Amino acid sequence: MAAPVVMPYADPSAHHVSLGLDQPVSTGTTIMAVEYDGGVIIGADSRTTSGSYIVNRVTDKLTPITDRIFCCRSGSAADTQAIADAVKYNLQLLSIELNEAPLVKTAAHFFRQYCYKYRDNCTAGILCAGWDKRSGGQVYSIPLGGMCIRQPFAIGGSGSTYLYGYCDAHFKTGMNKEESIEFVKNSVALAISRDGSSGGVVRIAVISEDGVERLLFTGKDIPQYNTDM
Amino acid sequence: MANPFEYNGSAVVGMIGSGCVAIAADRRLGIQGQTIATTFDKIYPMNESLYIGFYGLATDALTVSSRLKYQLNLYQLRENRQIKPKAFMHMTSNLLYSKRFGYYFVEPVIAGLDPVTKDPYIATMDLIGCPMETKDFVVVGTCSEQLYGMCESLWKPDLEPEDLFETISQALMNAVDRDALSGWGAIVHVIEKDKVTTRTLKARMD
Repeated sequence: MAAPVVMPYADPSAHHVSLGLDQPVSTGTTIMAVEYDGGVIIGADSRTTSGSYIVNRVTDKLTPITDRIFCCRSGSAADTQAIADAVKYNLQLLSIELNEAPLVKTAAHFFRQYCYKYRDNCTAGILCAGWDKRSGGQVYSIPLGGMCIRQPFAIGGSGSTYLYGYCDAHFKTGMNKEESIEFVKNSVALAISRDGSSGGVVRIAVISEDGVERLLFTGKDIPQYNTDM
Repeated sequence: MANPFEYNGSAVVGMIGSGCVAIAADRRLGIQGQTIATTFDKIYPMNESLYIGFYGLATDALTVSSRLKYQLNLYQLRENRQIKPKAFMHMTSNLLYSKRFGYYFVEPVIAGLDPVTKDPYIATMDLIGCPMETKDFVVVGTCSEQLYGMCESLWKPDLEPEDLFETISQALMNAVDRDALSGWGAIVHVIEKDKVTTRTLKARMD
């Protein structure tokens, strides 16, 4: 005989959304990295959430590892910050020992070492991108399980699910700097307009032999799509 | 299974001014993180001077508003007069309590003017119909804490309709800008004794 069923979340006093500050801080996010003819362009949104509360609306998810290698972080903010710090330290030590600038491939494989070894305890989706003398601009994707793969362009984070079609349709190899910046800016803007966990401003960095140029797009400079849907 | 109150995302606020009330809401319809629509209105007019907005599961908001309108239409036919906002609040409370053990996952905000005296009225209630009437403002939403903060700081008694519009708009916009599940547009209704002014706000679409 069935007893009257009360649904699991049916306690009226307990249904309310709490502010979410007890939930892990996540950069549910949109990140992107593209190889172009002079190096790499990387881009990201700027929203950090804890549950549904936006704890930071101007986050910088483009983290320098060396002066020509950056990483884009998605997933747990704590995990990715800790891993990025560890990789940065390892690379500094290595570059002193070898007396030359580290390779992007080396940085990416350091990321992979940590992400794979601690895969059960980490939520980290990382794009490692930069420029080195041997191979020029390179983009490596290190997703959740800890694999490492080089790609001509890579997207990541919760907002990236809305970009697969757009990016496959619009990417071309050997784009110049302006075309690549437009491609990254439009993609991140599209993801921001659909994904609740992405938003704020669009941060872009251009990494080439000459150094790192940082760009910021805010407000009206971010393309608006489908505002009337 | 997700929390039904956080599934679609919403924010609704009601405020009392001098001889007027205002009710405002965001316009997003989402499925958890994904935004589906930016023109999904959560505020339903029940008659010219009585509006109700809903926070919570969108499907239940549509159902409860339909059922309420049906009950209200019958009331108006039988009584041959417009309903008082307080009576409408009791009607809503009764409807929600009738589902005491199998809830509608919504919390309403009621805003209106008394049809005879034109006194302003706002109220809210929990998902099983416990009513709360206040003299200043009522807030519900995935960003209710943010809305409380904004309203407590910005609201003053006896605001004229134009000032009330500014106040409620700023309270809503800045609260939803700190919430990942609400926003993507906003709509504000200011109800005065002889007219209702409805405006959509240009808001951040992220």
